[in-house]
Amino acid sequence: MANDHILKRFDEELERLNSTINEMGGLTESQFAKALTAVRDRDTAIAEEVIADDARVDALDVAVQEQTVKLLALRQPMAIDLRVVLSSIKIAAALERIADYAKNTAKRGIVLAQASPPMSAVAGIDRLGRLVRSALKDVLDAFADDDVGKARDVWNRDEEIDQVYTGLFRELLTYMMEDPRTITACTHLMFMAKNIERAGDHVTNIAELVSFRSTGQTFAETRRKGSGALYTTDGAA
Amino acid sequence: MATARVNALYVRRRARNTIAKSLAYAAAAFGLGWLVLILAVLLFHGVGGLSLSVFTQNTPPPGSEGGLLNAIVGSLAMTLLAIAIGTPIGILAGTYLAEYGRHDKLSSIVRFINDILLSAPSIVVGLFIYEVMVAPMGHFSGYAGAVALAIIVIPVVVRTTEDMLRLVPDTLREAAASIGLPRAHMIVRIAYRAARAGIVTGILLAVARISGETAPLLFTALNNQFWSLNMNAPMPSLPVVIFQFALSPYEEWQKLAWTGALLITVTVLALSILARSLTARRT
Amino acid sequence: MSIASSNASMTVPVATHTGVNAAGLSEKVSIRNLEFFYGDSRALKGINLPLYANKTTAFIGPSGCGKSTLLRILNRMYDLYPGQRATGQVMFDGENLLDAGVDINLLRARIGMVFQKPTPFPMSIYENIAFGIRLYEKLPRSEVDARVEHALRRAALWDEVKDKLAASGLGLSGGQQQRLCIARTVAVKPEVILFDEPCSALDPISTAKIEELIDELKQDYTIVIVTHNMQQAARVSDFTCFMYLGDLIEFDVTEKIFTAPTDKRTQAYITGRFG
Repeated sequence: MANDHILKRFDEELERLNSTINEMGGLTESQFAKALTAVRDRDTAIAEEVIADDARVDALDVAVQEQTVKLLALRQPMAIDLRVVLSSIKIAAALERIADYAKNTAKRGIVLAQASPPMSAVAGIDRLGRLVRSALKDVLDAFADDDVGKARDVWNRDEEIDQVYTGLFRELLTYMMEDPRTITACTHLMFMAKNIERAGDHVTNIAELVSFRSTGQTFAETRRKGSGALYTTDGAA
Repeated sequence: MATARVNALYVRRRARNTIAKSLAYAAAAFGLGWLVLILAVLLFHGVGGLSLSVFTQNTPPPGSEGGLLNAIVGSLAMTLLAIAIGTPIGILAGTYLAEYGRHDKLSSIVRFINDILLSAPSIVVGLFIYEVMVAPMGHFSGYAGAVALAIIVIPVVVRTTEDMLRLVPDTLREAAASIGLPRAHMIVRIAYRAARAGIVTGILLAVARISGETAPLLFTALNNQFWSLNMNAPMPSLPVVIFQFALSPYEEWQKLAWTGALLITVTVLALSILARSLTARRT
Repeated sequence: MSIASSNASMTVPVATHTGVNAAGLSEKVSIRNLEFFYGDSRALKGINLPLYANKTTAFIGPSGCGKSTLLRILNRMYDLYPGQRATGQVMFDGENLLDAGVDINLLRARIGMVFQKPTPFPMSIYENIAFGIRLYEKLPRSEVDARVEHALRRAALWDEVKDKLAASGLGLSGGQQQRLCIARTVAVKPEVILFDEPCSALDPISTAKIEELIDELKQDYTIVIVTHNMQQAARVSDFTCFMYLGDLIEFDVTEKIFTAPTDKRTQAYITGRFG
């Protein structure tokens, strides 16, 4: 995507930005996965780890912000470069949020480990989590490979995630009505489900940004008005 | 570092540099030396003869005192007429070369011929006017002299006008055109204005050039011992008077010749300085 | 002189630009199938382009792409030089301005131009402006004074020069000289103003002033600007046209060109990846 500017330093800086995002993506993905494990296995040690490592994601977010500010100020990026820089800021922000949700899920996991939540509801959380996790993994791959098709695929999966979330929400309500003693545990599970669903929304946003970065248009826009310049002429003709 | 580079090659180059520089200085000193010598001799012989009578009395008969009034007036009259004839022709021709005919074949021919005319021996110009004016008219005249001088003026003015107009940047011409100024207006109101100092300098240089010319006047205006404002008759002029008086055996005449030479030299010098200051102010 | 079918064909280019909402835009100048030759070499190849009224259109592209050539066709500046010719149509008010019968001086009064280097005339500041006014109108002195002041105010120069109107225009700073040239152009009351790299010889502050000026002038004039400075094109223009080797590669709303150009060559050029 970069590496052919006349000014080589510009290429290097763009590449550094990309690799920072990739690193941040990898870390967020692992935070998210660990949080799910902590909840499923009621493993407080892993949960503590997730909580501690959130600072690393935050630090990477700060690094991305610094790099983009520098690129904007010193290189005055245009067109694709401008889109790379802008999408990087927003993708970093989305990843930071996802990591926050992971952290929050891990915290609730610790509380939940002391309680006795309905096991089928915990399994539901795990199912929702795995859907979002695989979407996150795919969108990060789409980002790394600049693959708009794959990003669109992820974007389309948001609906499924929403449906699973709605189902889980109803399930949890039912548990609480049936047995008021589970209310505390189920409330935690409800917030977890909400967190995971929100993380899924951010994954969808990242998919949009991958498209914007590559084509200048988001999926919603493409659906609305189609692409193409005012007009172009093919100079070779 | 520095000493490492001082090898044989460098030493030789430095020696050659010194030799070339000395030769250039010597040549310049040689040329300047003669010039200073000429001016010194001229001042030495000429200043003594300077007096009011030089400007108030006419050229004397042999062996008596007198002045150069008729010669000065004759020179002035013929020079003015020559400039009046030569300048418009020269400026218009120069304008053609620089503005209208820039890409024409004709202009390269005109430019070539003008350059020849610029360096043509002035005696040839004198003989030419003798053939086409003096001989048919049957007598020498101030008019013929003025025309001969005009022919010397024209190429100088053509050259400087063209050069000066060419120094006017094309962007200024385009700017004038861009507000819808027709070409002729552009030339008169913008280009001439921008090149004015240079063109005036050219005219001044032409005046300087003709005010010392003797050869073309010998065959055309000849000379006149007496006061005369009739341009249709032989007319005196400083250079011819100097020529005649300097060759004469009479001491008074020789003295006047030196004085006249000084007058011409000072005039030319003044014109040159004026011309230089005009161009200097422009930049 | 005028082309019979001009009204019908006039609307064609707008209609073909499906990407932009052409409503509310009117074409001040329509360039169609324009070719340009320096002697035998073809410098522009079949250019089709609308210039919208009261909008600023920027021409960008690497050196030698033909952007200045295209600009100089619009006021027939190329006529000053032999061996240069244009074919095709440049429709301006229902008339092909390339026609032999067009009065070039009147055309240039309607389509003014500001050059790369400031070109004040060798006369006073006042005369630099009044000169152009008097070319077309015989006005009493007081009215000329008013027009000079108006033009200088329009060019944001009045406050700087009002006390020295009789001083030579050549004594001003580069940026002031350029604004003087803009005032001179405005004074003739053109409809279109062409800017040929107007800031390339100016410092950033003077450049900013000129850019602000261009933005203001847009209300009353149709503006075309050639610039090497892409940020400048991005800052001042509504439409941008990218040219390369005599071809018009891409024409679009400026925002689109600088965020998501369609053609690869446009992208390569504006992101600094050429060569």
